[in-house]
Amino acid sequence: MHYVRLIGLFARTSFQEEAAYRANFILNLMYSLLNLGTGVLGVAVLFNQIQTLNGWDFNGTLALLGVYLTAGALRNLVFGPSLDALAGMDGEVWSGRLDFTLIRPVDTQFWASFRKWRLFSLFDMALGLGVLGVATARIGAGLAPEHWLAFLIALMAGGAILYAVLLAFTALVFWGPGVLFTWVFDGVFQMARYPLGLYPGWLRLVLTWVIPVGIITTVPAGALTGVTSAAMLAGMIALAVVLIIASSALFRFGLSHYKSASS
Amino acid sequence: MNSDFSQPHRVGNLRGGVALVKATWASWVQYRSFFFILAFGWMIQPLIYLLVWTTAAGGKTIGGISRGEFVAYYLVLILVNQITYSQANWTVGDLVRYGQMNRLLIRPLSPFYENLSSEMAGKVVYMIFDLPIVLILALIMRPEMHASLRDLLAFIPALLLAWALRFFWGYWLALLAFWATRADALLALQDSLVFLLAGQVAPVGLLPGLLRTAAEILPFRYMVGFPVEVLTGQVETTGLIMGFAVQAVWLALALTLTALLWRLGLRRYSAVGG
Amino acid sequence: MIEAQITVQGLSKTYRVPVRTEGLRASLKSLVKRAYDNVHAVQNVSFSIRSGEIVGLIGPNGAGKTTTLKMLTGLLHPTGGQARVAGFIPWQRKNAYLQRISMVMGNKSQMIWDIPPMDSFRVLGEIYSVPSSLFKQTLEELIELLDMQELLTKPVRNLSMGERMKCELVAGLLYRPVVMFLDEPTLGLDVSMQLRLRRFLAEYNRKSGVTILLTSHYMADVMALCPRVILIHQGKLLYDGELGSLAQKMAPFKLVRITLGAENGSSSRDVSLPPGVEITNRENNLLTLRVGRAEAPAVTAQLLQTLPVADLTVEDPPIEAVIDQVYTEGGV
Repeated sequence: MHYVRLIGLFARTSFQEEAAYRANFILNLMYSLLNLGTGVLGVAVLFNQIQTLNGWDFNGTLALLGVYLTAGALRNLVFGPSLDALAGMDGEVWSGRLDFTLIRPVDTQFWASFRKWRLFSLFDMALGLGVLGVATARIGAGLAPEHWLAFLIALMAGGAILYAVLLAFTALVFWGPGVLFTWVFDGVFQMARYPLGLYPGWLRLVLTWVIPVGIITTVPAGALTGVTSAAMLAGMIALAVVLIIASSALFRFGLSHYKSASS
Repeated sequence: MNSDFSQPHRVGNLRGGVALVKATWASWVQYRSFFFILAFGWMIQPLIYLLVWTTAAGGKTIGGISRGEFVAYYLVLILVNQITYSQANWTVGDLVRYGQMNRLLIRPLSPFYENLSSEMAGKVVYMIFDLPIVLILALIMRPEMHASLRDLLAFIPALLLAWALRFFWGYWLALLAFWATRADALLALQDSLVFLLAGQVAPVGLLPGLLRTAAEILPFRYMVGFPVEVLTGQVETTGLIMGFAVQAVWLALALTLTALLWRLGLRRYSAVGG
Repeated sequence: MIEAQITVQGLSKTYRVPVRTEGLRASLKSLVKRAYDNVHAVQNVSFSIRSGEIVGLIGPNGAGKTTTLKMLTGLLHPTGGQARVAGFIPWQRKNAYLQRISMVMGNKSQMIWDIPPMDSFRVLGEIYSVPSSLFKQTLEELIELLDMQELLTKPVRNLSMGERMKCELVAGLLYRPVVMFLDEPTLGLDVSMQLRLRRFLAEYNRKSGVTILLTSHYMADVMALCPRVILIHQGKLLYDGELGSLAQKMAPFKLVRITLGAENGSSSRDVSLPPGVEITNRENNLLTLRVGRAEAPAVTAQLLQTLPVADLTVEDPPIEAVIDQVYTEGGV
């Protein structure tokens, strides 16, 4: 209960911080629309020249873009800003304010995961779902409720995997405090905006098994088009659980290393 | 202290400039992981599109470009993009925003040198990261280059003009910081336009109708895509002449805007107080 | 009742730092290979502090004060030795321990920047599970003592340094810790704010019995607040006791300042002094003499008789000079 109340307070304070600068709202609006525009145009330019690519057509790729935008928005809603407040530029590790975090009688991983929210990302999520909606409408096939259910489950599992991978990248900051690992993740995550099938075999393996960002977008998109099987879904859920356990362990290990190694 | 900042500054202090570049290099090397990660980030989009287009081209050609030629195009793009990338906004913009102009204007060294030295130092550090990766990718992906002698000769001036254009274009945008504390929206828009029209999403030749026309008129293609197209043999002689002409026109405009805004900005800066 | 005492035994901390050299070639080399050095930040430090004491931890920059503080707050694991604070081992970081200690730093803020301090306080209140009635009561008390009613609704970024420091103190005390660690709390503050904060700390300590361990470079802080100081230099504990006794031990002399009357014009030149008395400064007719402590009364009497004295003061050597002497000589 205490932790639930804390999350509420964190979200509320973050909103107050966000609202403190009015100009940012317009700016955020611009960024979101530009992001959407360039994403859609990118896909359009590609499929202007070809009809299908490894089995993916314009509508399918658009649907994937919708999932990508939604997943990105989910990341930017809470986990992204919170972990970035720890490990990012001008974050607690970078500016030496981690001491204050460590001295709180709160689990550090909880703090690092929920402390900062960016509620504007809810708008981005709406945009992403909008793109997804348009794409599925264009695909036309009447979507059965079980497809939607599979999609939702896959999306949530994808969110969990996203959290786990982001947490792992964040944990690396404890070994290399000056290195912006979360930016590295940003780069890799960009690759998830296109279907895995578009990439050469070796990269597909990397993006599935090493840094599984590919799964986050491809499986939910596949759920909508009926490509994703129940087995794949189960596998994704299992992977999510394993990854969360593993990266949480990495985070704690990194924290204790940081405490013994730093001054 | 005479605060008549409208006096022209000593551009001729070469020794001071060289020392500044050396010192900037040393400090940049310290933070190399930071800059390597930046370079990595800039490389991702071209890489994604390299993979997408090469998969799309497969065994045939798209718009006359083969798989191997796409590889060549994007690998060159990574390097050219890095060489021409302008950091003026961070350096100049921040200087104005955080009131550090005084420090620079007092020195007997044109503030211009400060930007130049950080640009050069930065690019060397970035290239240390980029070159090995591009080489490895070239070995793996087997690019195909069809550059004639004319292309090779035209590439260098095209590249230099592209760098100058991007540098001064970024500079005048950054100088807007004298009037509006945050020109972020403009810069975000600029980034998107560069992405779409400068040859990253696709070589300009492959862009659909309206976008293609826009790309050939606006300056963005001439900051990145044009030299790349030249080197990979995608531009015919008439195209070369037209390209250089458009580049020159935009560069002249950028230079004018930079000089104008600098003069106006300094006047306002010393009137308002730094 | 948890004893708020601090006991430290043989505490040590050693860590490795990369070596960085200057020059173009060296920086190119460092791109490929890194060299490391061992730094002994804290070496075998032992002391014990009773509940309710205010103790000053002093020493030059890099002496190991902050490292010691970090070990006691559980932020660092020591490489050797033991410590207990309020009955807990700090680096085990038990929640029960963390809820009883507090750390306030003069150069780093724990407030959220863009919103009023009250909102940061509310979050902290929840983090430390302070029951809401107690929270309200403590907050009222602190706000009154610090006289900061109007600050509560202004965003922290709009506050002056002194006002921000008041907020930091409230943040550090609103959950009623039993031990408070203060790291340079008056850094960069103007004189009157420094005075006010010192008065607050003394009064709060009196009222609540909170144990305070304070580091500061301002001797005025230490002299005003700390009956006892622990001096750390190059990681080693050099002195633990009263500040006054330190001065007596290190600088067993007094400064006698004489203003000579203008009776005879050349008087300032031919001043005859008793043996063992040194002139440290001479400006026109203002003389500063160094006299051994024991001899001071006798010498003063003699000077008054033999010289045309217009004004005379007898002072202790400035504590800063004493401390400086300890720092540079590296020993007591």
